[in-house]
This record gives sequence, structure tokens and C-alpha cells, in this order.
Amino acid sequence: MFESLFISLQLALVTTLILLCIAIPLAYVLAFKSFAGRTVLEVIVALPLVLPPTVLGYYVLLMIAPNSMLGSAWQNLFDSSLAFSFSGMVLASILYSLPFAVQPIQQAFRALPKQWLELGKNQGMNIKQVFRHIILPASKGGVLVASALAFAHTMGEFGVVLMVGGSIPGETKVASIALFEMVEMQQQSDASMLALILLAVSFVMLSLVYSINRKPMLAAS
Amino acid sequence: MKHALHFQAQFGNLLLDAQATFDDEIIVISGENGAGKTSLLRCIAGLEKATGSVQMGQTIWLDSVADFILPTEQRNIGFVYSEAVLLPWLSVEKNIKLGVKNGSGFQKIIADLELAPLMQRKPAMLSSGEAQRVALARAMYRQPSLLLLDEPFSAQAPEIRNRLRHVLKAWQKDFHTPILLVSHDTEEAKSLANQHWHMREGKLLVKVKGMLKNKVVNDE
Repeated sequence: MFESLFISLQLALVTTLILLCIAIPLAYVLAFKSFAGRTVLEVIVALPLVLPPTVLGYYVLLMIAPNSMLGSAWQNLFDSSLAFSFSGMVLASILYSLPFAVQPIQQAFRALPKQWLELGKNQGMNIKQVFRHIILPASKGGVLVASALAFAHTMGEFGVVLMVGGSIPGETKVASIALFEMVEMQQQSDASMLALILLAVSFVMLSLVYSINRKPMLAAS
Repeated sequence: MKHALHFQAQFGNLLLDAQATFDDEIIVISGENGAGKTSLLRCIAGLEKATGSVQMGQTIWLDSVADFILPTEQRNIGFVYSEAVLLPWLSVEKNIKLGVKNGSGFQKIIADLELAPLMQRKPAMLSSGEAQRVALARAMYRQPSLLLLDEPFSAQAPEIRNRLRHVLKAWQKDFHTPILLVSHDTEEAKSLANQHWHMREGKLLVKVKGMLKNKVVNDE
């Protein structure tokens, strides 16, 4: 049981960290740039919100299958299969939780007072400096919310990780899948314990999100 | 040094038309609300699109014929808005030093503007007058080649206002930085202005000996 929980936590942590590196630039582009294909990009980012997880899992499987481009490159590079591996689950989780990471940051960027951005220019700061010293610190709350949501959402996924990971004990069997198998095998006490832990993790993460959102000027503290 | 503005800009129904030259001096700009005073400053700062030319000394900031626009961050301006824009998570000191690599005379500026005891405060703990002085200090500290002030003393008590005018005047003498100052205060105009501009429905009119002159000034 704790093995599966540990895998879940590990997956959520790795996914969240990688997601932040992707979500921040993506949110920046979506918040501040206008370009052809913007709407398409926004739709793609939001797609995992409505897509059945099995559909997403199916496409990720196709993408990382040993005979696919990505799958075979991975095979050559690391001499292991990307499908039914932890790394494969990370990839799938990144796609699955992408909107939860991008949207809060994008909203935080959009909510920035225009004068703050002008202030940076007036003070002779280039776009990199404005980002580092004004945009990012001012959006700290949004980044925290994004991290908490991405983490909680990854902890809670089921269909995608089952499709892509294959529920290999000690490798890709995460807590949510372990719970399902416990119920199937009528391991009542283990199941209720694991369910309670998952509930607690989600509760804590969402409490964090709501308390951050209640302080719109978190950055000011 | 000689500086020259020859540009136009459209803001809804208002056509901003600026034709003027100035030296390293203080220019007070008056005019009714909506006459384009703030827009004039924003165009000069490069924050709004304008067509024509802006030349500061030897440096060209805008030359529409050559399709050249110097970005705001490279114009080395100090810009104080009528409502102070401070970053709430930074102390007063860090707000003043924001983005500045080679500032000068920090101690003198904060002493002159009566900000010394406030250095470690956050903007939320400042009165509007104090916040406005912090914004002014920030613009002065970076040693701009042009200082743009949009009603910079509007939130100050009358007795401080007078002191601040002297500070500004002395600072201008020391650094020879041209200052464009928007003000509704006729007394302010009298005590500060080397030149007086008046904005009327978007048109920049140069006031000479109390008379408005719609002159088109050539550079040389």
C-alpha cells in the first residue's frame, strides 16, 4: 500500500516540477502575445479538462509505443521501454495536468496592472528583467495555486496512468489504482485507509489553493 | 542641449499635435482635462504610438520616416504618474532602486524628499503623499535624460509642495536634466517654468510672455 502511495507522490512531485517549467512560458505566451493559432493552442492546453482520461492515455500510448518515433528513440537512448514505465507515466501526467498548471498562471499574468509592466520599461528594464523582477514575483500566488492543483490532480489520476503505466507493482502501480485493486480483492481495511489518505492529500492541497486565492495580494506579503 | 518634438498621435477623437523645441530646462504643461497632457508625456516616453519625430540632443527617439522607434526602456526617462505606481512587495528603498544600476545621490534625494525614515516600509504603509514622493525619488535616482512628471505634487500638503518645488529646481540645476511637468497649479507654473506649454484639444501651444502662440518651431 505504502509503495503505491510513494509512487503516486513521486509521480506528482516530478510531474509538478516539470510542469512548472513548461507552464510558466506557455502561460506567458498565452497571456501577453497575440499570434495566429493562439486559440488552437489554448484549446489544446484545455483539452485534458474534458477529454476522457482513457482517450488521452490511448494517444499517449500510441505516441510512446516502441515502434513510434519517440518510443524507439527512448529505447535506443536508455535501453528501456517508455510504455508501461514511470517515465511514460510522467509524460502522460504532464499532458493530463497541463491545464491545471497553465490556467492559474495565465490568469495571474493577465490580472497584472498595466502600470506595473510600464513601470519596468520606464525604469529601463528589458523584458527579461521585467519578467524576473515584476511579472514573476507579482504572480507568485498563481504559481503556487498552479503547483498545488497540478500536484493534487496528478495524485488523483486513474485512467491515464492505468493505460500508460499498466499497474506494475512497485513501478507503475499508483495509489488510486492500488485502491481499485484492493476493493476488487475485498481488502476492506487497506482500502479504507488508502482512500482516507488520498482524501486528506486532496483536502490539504485544495485548502492551500483557496487560502492563496483569498489573498489576491499574496505577493505583497 | 536642444530637444525637438514633431509628432502627431490619435487617441479616439483627439488628435494630439506636438510641435515644440526645448532646452535643458523646466517646462510646465497646463491644459484642461482630456486636452492630451498625459498622452503627450506617454508619447514622448514611447508608451503610445506616435507619428513624426522626437529628438533628444543627439539621440533620436522617434523617426517615423526612417521607421525607427527607440523602445521606452532604452530612452532613459524618469516618469512619475499622477498616481504613484509602486510595487507592493518591495520596500521603499527597493522600489526606488528598481532596475537602476548606476544611480547617484541616493542619500541626498531621500533626504530632500523627506523619505529617509521610510526606507524599510512597504508601500501599503505609506500615505498617498509619501508614495508620490517615493515615485519621484525613483525617477530622479536613475539620472534620466528626461524627467516626465504628471502632476507629481498633487497629493502633497501645501507646505511640502513648496519645498518640493525648490528641491526639483535645485536638482534640475545640478543635473541639467530637462523636465516636462504637467500641472494645474498656476503658482507652480510661475515658480518653476522656464517655458510654458498649454494643451488645447490635443494641440500643443507654446506660451510666450503669457500669450499663446501656435508656432511651429523648427529645430535650427
